[in-house]
Amino acid sequence: MKAIWIALANLHRMFRVRTNIFFVFVFPMVLILVLGATFGGSSSPRLGVAAQGSGPLGAALVRQLDRTPHLRVESVSSPATLLTQVQRGNLTAGLVIPPGYDTAVRAGHGVAVRYMARPGQSSQQLSETVRGAVAQQAALLGAARFAVAERSAPSFSAGLAEAAALSRAVPAVSVTSSTAGTPLFSKTLGQFDLGASTQLLLFLFLIALTGAVALIETRRLGVSRRVLSTPTSPGTVIAGETLGRVLISVIQAVVIILGSSLLFGVNWGQPIGVAAVVILFALVAAGAGIFLGTLFRTEQQAIGVSLLLGLGLGALGGCMVPLEVFSPTMKRVAHITPQAWGNDAFARLVGHGASITGILPQLGVLAAYAVVLLALATWRLRRVLSA
Amino acid sequence: MRSAVLICVKDLKARFRDRSALLIGIVVPLGLAFIFNSIFSGISGDSKAIQLGVVALDRGPIAQQFVSQVLGAVGRSGLIAVQQESSVAGARALTAKGTLNAVIVIPADFSARVEANQPASMRVIGNVDSPISSEVARSIAESYAADLNRVRLSVATVVAHGGGNSGAPSPGRLAALAAAAAAPVAVRDVSAKSKELDQKSFFAAGMAVFFLFFTVQFGVTSLLEERSDGTLARLLAAPITRTSILGGKLLTSFLLGVISMVVLVAATSLLFGASWGNPAGVAVLIVAAILAAMGIMALIATLAKNAEQAGNWQSVVAVVLGLLGGTFFPVSQAPGVLSKLTFAAPQAWFLRGLGDLRGGGISVVWLPALAMLGFAVVTGGIAMTRLRHIAEV
Repeated sequence: MKAIWIALANLHRMFRVRTNIFFVFVFPMVLILVLGATFGGSSSPRLGVAAQGSGPLGAALVRQLDRTPHLRVESVSSPATLLTQVQRGNLTAGLVIPPGYDTAVRAGHGVAVRYMARPGQSSQQLSETVRGAVAQQAALLGAARFAVAERSAPSFSAGLAEAAALSRAVPAVSVTSSTAGTPLFSKTLGQFDLGASTQLLLFLFLIALTGAVALIETRRLGVSRRVLSTPTSPGTVIAGETLGRVLISVIQAVVIILGSSLLFGVNWGQPIGVAAVVILFALVAAGAGIFLGTLFRTEQQAIGVSLLLGLGLGALGGCMVPLEVFSPTMKRVAHITPQAWGNDAFARLVGHGASITGILPQLGVLAAYAVVLLALATWRLRRVLSA
Repeated sequence: MRSAVLICVKDLKARFRDRSALLIGIVVPLGLAFIFNSIFSGISGDSKAIQLGVVALDRGPIAQQFVSQVLGAVGRSGLIAVQQESSVAGARALTAKGTLNAVIVIPADFSARVEANQPASMRVIGNVDSPISSEVARSIAESYAADLNRVRLSVATVVAHGGGNSGAPSPGRLAALAAAAAAPVAVRDVSAKSKELDQKSFFAAGMAVFFLFFTVQFGVTSLLEERSDGTLARLLAAPITRTSILGGKLLTSFLLGVISMVVLVAATSLLFGASWGNPAGVAVLIVAAILAAMGIMALIATLAKNAEQAGNWQSVVAVVLGLLGGTFFPVSQAPGVLSKLTFAAPQAWFLRGLGDLRGGGISVVWLPALAMLGFAVVTGGIAMTRLRHIAEV
């Protein structure tokens, strides 16, 4: 019973500070939104096009580019702006269709569009896509020009109209495309789904670690000594502290899960499976947080180490870049972190629609982490309290 | 002046003794930059050539021209590695595994069908997780197909108009003429010098400027601590001007910032090869960033009731500005309004300055430096008027 009061006191101390509410609930949700809006969905290369004054044929070339799959075409006001944007990496590459493009092509002059690329591979490789679109337009333009040269069409425009009409009737050389392999990510994965579960694990762990600060404060102010002078056993204090940390994590998870599914429509997967992952992960995080809290003397030190461990282990465990894209070696290294196992569990729940029975191995590993870390935390806390 | 220096030396000693400044200013940013860099190197796709397979089941001239001339030229660029495969099944398996990003298959009767003016088609099989590489492969095939179509259409257009001036030349001769005609539109390559930070330098600079906002807190916020501890009243009772006390605190912040940044620049350059660029330009940007961080953090400190509240608010602002400023991932490259909003954070100007510095001379740092100084002057100005008020207690 007393343990519960100690736990509730912990909760009260945590949420009394407004800025904690920001870091525990608001900030993770904002990140889920920002990451989803920025990186969720497609990662298509962005081609900037400066086509001012290029006339109807210039506009037709832009439309041709627009039809290219896996390419986002963005209009840019001038070639100078385009160059800067490409240099800064804000656009993958740029295309300048010069003013007077339409007139020059119609007059039969040699015309050149300019393709701007940075030294990076992705920027250079996009050149083929642009050349493909130019070649498709050139098929019509070339036919019209040839008809004029052979004096069979009275004008370029007449030849172009004729070629466009014929292009539907003349048997064409075409390209068909298909895909091979099993996708790393399920096709049903929504825009915010991947970011949501990874950010949840990142922040559950990070907040539990920084929560260690409260434990240091408790000791520094002598609160724990006073509690122990009352008829309360160290075991009760430890149980209370642990329960408090776990409760904070669980509340945090519930708010983030409900909030993100209501606000951004995030799919989290089977509720029982999600609950199991969250509770085990909360125990792991609580163990780590309390253990850390017993190792340091000042709050600033604990904050510094918490940030390093929380963000570092999070990144390693696939909370910033998904584990699926890690190299095989890095993937093995990543699985020394509990985050990696949590992320694996969510990947199955969300991406493959698995139920709790499908994530038993991951739950087992998380339970093992929880047991070891809580044992370490209890042992250290007992020593620190009795000191 | 002397008393300001004494206060500063006392504060610096205290910060180094409890190791907190060392941790936040150096160890944590260095550690995170190192971790991010080792995790993310090899993930970024910008370093890899596209692995393109080709299965030519056709030995005819049109297929051979594609393989030897078109793919030959593509392969020589070094951006795309072309390898010939003998069977479709084998190539498809390699593509499914991801060894090849995409395969172009030329069916056995391709040349014959093209020459007979029948519908013909090439096939592109792309790895399901390499949509961009697959699109590049498709574009290469599409360009060649478009050129074949240009010849067909040229002949058809002339024939449709009754053969033109040269009487009624055979379609074969027309095709040869059309094939020899120059492409109506050429694509000319312009190489743009990169103003983008490479990954190592990005993480080094991003983490350094993110934690800079925490490091400079130690100086200004200690004024609030001195007030609650009662040592501020004693300082004021001593024959020391208020300006000296403030000066000492600000000097502490500034020096902590300088030490942190200098150590981080040196350590990231030596330990994992980050390249920061022209030292003079980097120095200007660092000084401007420190002043901006000091101004913003001091302003927040003056709005808070006590050191604890100040610390909490400062963390929120530092984290939000850091994220918005693109210290963790390049927000300026995000589509939409976010790419504009990012410049509401001085961190974004710092990173842009460093990026521009690699594409140009030292003069490019003045604009980002001025922007950061703008933040410093506005926030610092308000903070100064309020700090004097605090120091009157």
